[in-house]
Amino acid sequence: MKKYLLILLLSGCSTVVPVAQKFPQAPEILQQPCKPLKPAEANISLSQLTKTVVENYTEYHQCSGLADAWREWYTQQKKLFEELK
Amino acid sequence: MWLLQYLPNWIFPAVFFAGIILYLVTKTISFLPQAKLFQAIAAALVFFGTYMTGAISNNDTWLKRVNELQLQISKLETKSQETNTKIVTKVLTKREYYREQGTEVIKYVDREIVKYDESCKIPQEVVEAHNKAAK
Repeated sequence: MKKYLLILLLSGCSTVVPVAQKFPQAPEILQQPCKPLKPAEANISLSQLTKTVVENYTEYHQCSGLADAWREWYTQQKKLFEELK
Repeated sequence: MWLLQYLPNWIFPAVFFAGIILYLVTKTISFLPQAKLFQAIAAALVFFGTYMTGAISNNDTWLKRVNELQLQISKLETKSQETNTKIVTKVLTKREYYREQGTEVIKYVDREIVKYDESCKIPQEVVEAHNKAAK
């Protein structure tokens, strides 16, 4: 009987939980690359040059917004990902 | 354990108690033939019943853990989708704001800056400096 008890005490099980968590896919809009800045043409007028500069600033703000969104997306998704215990 | 899928859970505690009863019977009934054999069978039943009851308990614990994790993952996936939607909305709103802002400034340029086009010529060096910086 002692032998059986010993076998019982020594028997154990090890199992890996068959559940996997996937890191989420980023939205399509965040994956768009920034557009290149517009160059000014030769013999350009003051108003045209100003417009080019304004368009480039607009492009910068759009791209900066995307970079901010990326940071926010990563921080929040990482936080959610690490919530799983 | 594949065996657990085909047998009801109560069978293993029943096997355990059957082993105990069989062992007590072999001890109390003195005229029982082959008492040693029945005692060995009783010990085997007790061992098997205990082992399988433990296995069921272990299996149930893991199944519970799997279900908990799956539920948690599905909740987190919903939260993640909500976060995506919020961020995409924010990006689109900002994009629209800057586009409108740019359009307004361009309207201002067309209205006010054009007045200086004739009097203020842009030197080629300014254009080159701008283009170098924009590259």
